Amino acid sequence: MSELGRNGFLNQVLPQGAMFPDFMLPSAEGRLVSLSSQLARGPVIISFFRGEWCPFCRLMLSALTEALPEIEEAGATLLALTPETGGLALTMKEYHGARFDVLSDVDCGVGLAAGVVFQIPKLYRARMSADFAERQGNAGFFLPVPATFILAPDGVVAWRFVDVDFTHLAEPADIINAVRSLREHA
Amino acid sequence: MELSQVRYFVTLCRTLNFTRAAAQCNVTQPAFTRAIQKLEAELGGDLLFRERNLTQLTELGRSIRPHLEAMLDAADAARNLAAARNTRAAASLKIGLGPGIGAASVANAVREIANALPDVAIHFEESGPATLIEAMLTDMLDCALLPEFCDLPERLNRWPLYTDRAVAVLPPDHPLAKQNAITAADILDQTILVGEFCGGFAGRLAATTGYSLRLQRCNGAAAQLLDLVGAGLGVALLSDRLRIAAPLTSRPFHEPELQRKILLTAVAGRPLNPAAASFVKLCRAQKFV
Repeated sequence: MSELGRNGFLNQVLPQGAMFPDFMLPSAEGRLVSLSSQLARGPVIISFFRGEWCPFCRLMLSALTEALPEIEEAGATLLALTPETGGLALTMKEYHGARFDVLSDVDCGVGLAAGVVFQIPKLYRARMSADFAERQGNAGFFLPVPATFILAPDGVVAWRFVDVDFTHLAEPADIINAVRSLREHA
Repeated sequence: MELSQVRYFVTLCRTLNFTRAAAQCNVTQPAFTRAIQKLEAELGGDLLFRERNLTQLTELGRSIRPHLEAMLDAADAARNLAAARNTRAAASLKIGLGPGIGAASVANAVREIANALPDVAIHFEESGPATLIEAMLTDMLDCALLPEFCDLPERLNRWPLYTDRAVAVLPPDHPLAKQNAITAADILDQTILVGEFCGGFAGRLAATTGYSLRLQRCNGAAAQLLDLVGAGLGVALLSDRLRIAAPLTSRPFHEPELQRKILLTAVAGRPLNPAAASFVKLCRAQKFV
């Protein structure tokens, strides 16, 4: 983690003011969801999750599920992205009873475009219980840091939260405030 | 890591020449070299040997290359599909299906691609594994669903999708149609029709039980073999995922359990067109029950 920080990881994450690249990804239910079609309805919150195995991600997903009515009231759409495959996005969604889309960022492509992907150092791989090769369908040992972006309807990053420490996640209240202020300044 | 760093590295892997790779990426060589150095710092080691006349991948470089290529392809595919949808670009999706593997299990994924790209040309090719593998390697097919029991070259990526189980296909008035399930003993005195597209279940049954089965060879398409089942010539052992049209009926085959894993395969390191890349993603993302 500190190594990620030292290497200037945060400098490579898509900054505020940058255009978030459009994408289409499979949803937990096997539909293709495009960013631009969600942006057509208003601001979009994109939250990267490491996976169903990660307790911090589970906490964050619970908090977001709870906050969803307020997020929707503020006019925003929430998309959760995870590199997990083989139906694990659906497992994650059903576990939380989430009404928002959980998308499979297969092979971390969108995570790479957003600059949030890192490789798990060899030293830590053996200590982590999750079988990443099976869960992600590739043995690259790549994970996203749990970053959150809020995009204005034109696709520009209006707000972001990113921390290389995976125990630090965006606060739902901060997300809601940021979406509300986006609407007020629109 | 940054998208541009990964793109530079993948280009460098293909050219093994810093000057040419930088030119292909439209970036100055110092900036290109800095980006590669930053990637090396993040990945914890040199990716290349920089010798005077020779640029070669290190072991770390070689081992990480396919994974970075896959991630770059995924980034491009996610963006390109969105772009193709907006521009209604022409696209094609060519899927190989191994013996006795139906399209039903992947039909929803194909529907999603066709909804996103209404002009997509969809092509299925059902054939033996060797033919399909050759077609993928020569770029005639994008990907193929193949049974686990076939020789897959190293160059093919493979992802397990689901497990096929055998069913016995019977005419409606067949005495065995009264049973809920069929065992090997039940069909010892039956003729089993076998063709190229039956998935090899009868052969596996003979091999596992050691029974000598009454096999009737019937080459041709699955539909013709099923016509013969309808005419009462014999029974067939097929995948439970094939749709069997009435009046024929099917019963699960138990004792021994006859099953095979079905893998999705595609050539490693070859970028697929947006339709095919997204089809592969859709298949990999879901759980087939």
